[in-house]
Amino acid sequence: MRRLITVTGLLLSGAALASDGHGLVIKTPPVGSVSRTDGLQAWEKIHAVVSHPRCVNCHTDEQNLPMWSGPEYADVRPHGMNIHAGESRIGAETLTCQTCHVTSTRPNTVPRAAPHTGMEWRLAPAEFLWFGVDGRTICEQIRDPERNGGRDGAGLVEHITHDAEKKGFITWGFDPGAGREPAPGGMQAHLDDMIVWVAAEMPCPE
Amino acid sequence: MKITVNGEMHDVAVAPDMPLLWVLRDELKLTGTKYGCGIAQCGACTVHIDGVAVRSCQMPVGDLEGEVTTIEGLGQPQVLHAVQAAWVEHQVAQCGYCQSGQIMAAASFLDTNPDPTDADIDRVMSANLCRCGTYPRIREAVKTAAASLRGA
Amino acid sequence: MGKLKTIARRTFLIGSAAIAGGVAFGVYKVRQDPANPLLENAKSGEAVFNPWVMIDGERITLITPHTDLGQGAESMQAALIAEELDVEFGQFETRFGVPAAAYWNTAMAGDAAPFKSTDDSFTAETTRAFMSGLFKVIGMQGTGGSSSVPDSFDKLRMAGAVARETLKAAVAQNWDVSVDDLKTEKGAVIMPDGTALNYTEIAALAAEMEPVEEVVLRDPSEWRLIGSQMRRTDIVGKSTGTLKYGIDVDVGGMVHATVKVNPRRGVMNSYDAGEAEKMSGVLKILPVTNGVAVVAENTWYAFKAAEAITCDWGPSPYPAEQSDHWKAVADSFTDDRLDKVWRKDGDPDAGLSGDVVEAAYHAPYLAHAPLEPLNAVVKVTEEGADIWVSHQIPRIVQQQVAAITGHDTAQVKLHGQYAGGSFGHRLEFENVKLAAEIANQMRGTPVKLTYSREEDFAHDYPRQISMARGRGAVKDGKVETYDLSIASVSSSASQIGRIGMPMPGPDSQIPAGAWNLPYAVPNFRVSAYRVPELAPTSSWRSVGASSAGFFADSFLDELIHAAGADPLEERLRLCTHDLARKVLEAVGEMSGWGGDLGPDRGRGVAFVNSFGVPCAEVVEVTNTPGGIKIDKVFIAAEVGTVIDPVAFDNQVKGGVVWALGHAMNCEVTYSDGVAEQSNYHAYEAMRMYQCPEIEVRGLENGDTVRGVGEPPVPPAAAALGNAIFAATGKRLREMPFNKHIDFV
Repeated sequence: MRRLITVTGLLLSGAALASDGHGLVIKTPPVGSVSRTDGLQAWEKIHAVVSHPRCVNCHTDEQNLPMWSGPEYADVRPHGMNIHAGESRIGAETLTCQTCHVTSTRPNTVPRAAPHTGMEWRLAPAEFLWFGVDGRTICEQIRDPERNGGRDGAGLVEHITHDAEKKGFITWGFDPGAGREPAPGGMQAHLDDMIVWVAAEMPCPE
Repeated sequence: MKITVNGEMHDVAVAPDMPLLWVLRDELKLTGTKYGCGIAQCGACTVHIDGVAVRSCQMPVGDLEGEVTTIEGLGQPQVLHAVQAAWVEHQVAQCGYCQSGQIMAAASFLDTNPDPTDADIDRVMSANLCRCGTYPRIREAVKTAAASLRGA
Repeated sequence: MGKLKTIARRTFLIGSAAIAGGVAFGVYKVRQDPANPLLENAKSGEAVFNPWVMIDGERITLITPHTDLGQGAESMQAALIAEELDVEFGQFETRFGVPAAAYWNTAMAGDAAPFKSTDDSFTAETTRAFMSGLFKVIGMQGTGGSSSVPDSFDKLRMAGAVARETLKAAVAQNWDVSVDDLKTEKGAVIMPDGTALNYTEIAALAAEMEPVEEVVLRDPSEWRLIGSQMRRTDIVGKSTGTLKYGIDVDVGGMVHATVKVNPRRGVMNSYDAGEAEKMSGVLKILPVTNGVAVVAENTWYAFKAAEAITCDWGPSPYPAEQSDHWKAVADSFTDDRLDKVWRKDGDPDAGLSGDVVEAAYHAPYLAHAPLEPLNAVVKVTEEGADIWVSHQIPRIVQQQVAAITGHDTAQVKLHGQYAGGSFGHRLEFENVKLAAEIANQMRGTPVKLTYSREEDFAHDYPRQISMARGRGAVKDGKVETYDLSIASVSSSASQIGRIGMPMPGPDSQIPAGAWNLPYAVPNFRVSAYRVPELAPTSSWRSVGASSAGFFADSFLDELIHAAGADPLEERLRLCTHDLARKVLEAVGEMSGWGGDLGPDRGRGVAFVNSFGVPCAEVVEVTNTPGGIKIDKVFIAAEVGTVIDPVAFDNQVKGGVVWALGHAMNCEVTYSDGVAEQSNYHAYEAMRMYQCPEIEVRGLENGDTVRGVGEPPVPPAAAALGNAIFAATGKRLREMPFNKHIDFV
């Protein structure tokens, strides 16, 4: 229950529409108005996002290999050029991700160039494993503060708004530009779904 | 906008989304940095930004933070950097067009990892393309440069 | 003797010496030797000994007219002159010189003549001599066909020797000593008392001399440079970013341009540059043949504006879809498409009357894609045109540009540049023609044209597409019958057609590397079928042998396995050519052939003779859970004389990497008439992590010196395929191999 209360608290305090920088609208559902069914429906939309190649390619296991999958690639394969992100997950041991994936908030316009975002390019931590993992497992990982970077529900929502402020990876996933297929939906819809899912106490499919 | 390249400050009047590569080549006439692909596939345009290897074709000049070092600033014919000296010793180059980028990638890497394994070298250098096939010599030259930088 | 007569003699000297004793046909025309281009601007006191050596009071200049594409041609040519001239690296300067008929390539035509390089018959020799004369009449100064070494080996040593002996003669005459008492070393004539007279000090005296006519080339035992490690003249420049390539040329007042030309190689119906015209840095939008050019303040502005132009392209003159290209090749194994039966030993049809082994092979179009994109700087004025470009046939470029600007060819000056790779790409000249079209529309302003990588891929003239069908039979553990039919477009005809010349007769590149296999298979036939032109094609490192060599050796390997014989032993048993046998034995010994490799591993051997170089390779692979890992390659090549062991080693390894990389994962395919591979993301070839250890051995058993830029390429794909078969039991008959198997 603590989680829900925290979330609701955040949502109530944040009900004053878009906050500085991120340009998103936080729509707070009335307390108790979100059913488990609504939450599971929201999760399905979240899952469609987090299982998309734009997201899973960099949510890989402790082999620390970014992946190339999705409609832009003929096969599923590890990132070409023998890229290893290392235990640092940013390539610090050998070749940094940022050597090619620079940090810039400008739109991605050049087809097949190394994509960039306003955040330093990296793999998500290995415990945030989404590549090749079923939806229920991803769901349980996302709601587990031990395996999601210590985030409670409010933290998950704040993760999205923070990304929007920085023009980070989630923002890029919905607008990768340069002919890449975006993750389904958009930032606002993803935020709405996350709020509903959190408000429904983060239900996961059986 | 002002950028610092090889210790010198330059005032360049170009579009901020222009890649650093073209500012170096066409505006500052520093042609040692090469255009090969424009999409971070070949590595020929590699420079250092505050010592870190960066593909200059991917770096909008308007987003540049830090000092740029190009192959011309790494060392000169009379004062070779250890990596360049190793490249000369092993006579790595054939056409040589990729070698500015290869050398800049190796120099940045050896700065943080002066005692690399063969697997490390293959991880760093596989993102730089050489169409002439000088890879066997690049491997040897990186090892020689590493030994030289360690003072061995 | 008057100055004019001296000049005439200086012009004549090397050319006549080089062809002495061979040409029985067309001699008169051939003997009218082309003018020495160095004499045009020779100053007083400057000794111009021949088209390759020039010495004045300050410097020794060696001319290295074979284009340096990265293969080290500049160093190799300088070393040959320096060997006889007795100058050391560091004592001379080099220049590429100007395009001139004096630099005709005597060796390039040799392999164009349709005789095996192992054929020393009278007909073969006479035809080679005739081809050589023909090429001289054309005045072809070409770099290609692994011919720079064979073309230069005698000629440039002679050029050095003539200069050296003339310098000695000048000293003998002026100091009243006997030539026999003079020595030369380190750029000086040494007097009997040990006094050293630097060449630069006596250049003015030598300039007044009649060049010495008769020189004797040194015995190999006296060579100082040839065969020993040298330091490439360009190595420091290429390791410091200071060496300038064509793409780095900066001419005062220059503007930057790029082009957007129909990627289907058809016409442009219309274009809309409304948005591009308004973009920052754009100076002009100009029409060019089948496309449009953007002239801008820098290259990037030009690239961005070109992207913003929309064009209505006409259709391709060749089939729009790749499947129709393959169909055209497959449909060409017919009597009316038969180009030539290149070899028929025994009775192949009778040999195929029993159980027959059959196999079909495919080799795709391939792009050259050297890392330096196509470029050219051209300035056109009323008086003439200047071109700054690296090119393999510069004299043809001059003609092409002259036709555009309306000048005489003599008014078109070409300033040769270093190339960032070529592999045959810089035999084509569309880039220079387009630069000339732009510059001709803005006379007086130098224009630098740079292709984007995407434009370079779209306008690459790829390697020939081809297929082969093999039929064969084995008996008593031996290969008994070998019948290979190859169907290919003719890259030679395509290429020569763009120069505006016909190519009569069959194309010897279609069966190159296949018909000349040195094996005494009792029934042996190789037939070539000419596929009508599809996409225009061009020479790609090792040309016809790059595909035919793969077909030929792979099929032999299949037959050997069918016979149950050992791949190396059976090749050796069948081998009739001593130099070929020695390279096969060499790789057998280097690789420890026959030794146990351990589980999941395999080795394959292959042999191809291309460009006169017998070359054998052994490839070792491991079949890992993720795919094939290429562990090691052993290669032996017979080249007569290894000029520089370091350059040799680098070239050979590069050839192996080139061949294996493309065999693994590269092809060019057409869709909607456009090449689908637009950049290296879709045309990866080999990267360092996949690069095997490569052990190289150069053999020097033959009498003829050969170039080694191309010969390592053809056997590599076959050896890889043979090794994969040995490791997995899976036979790869179609390149790229990653269509059928993964690589790690």
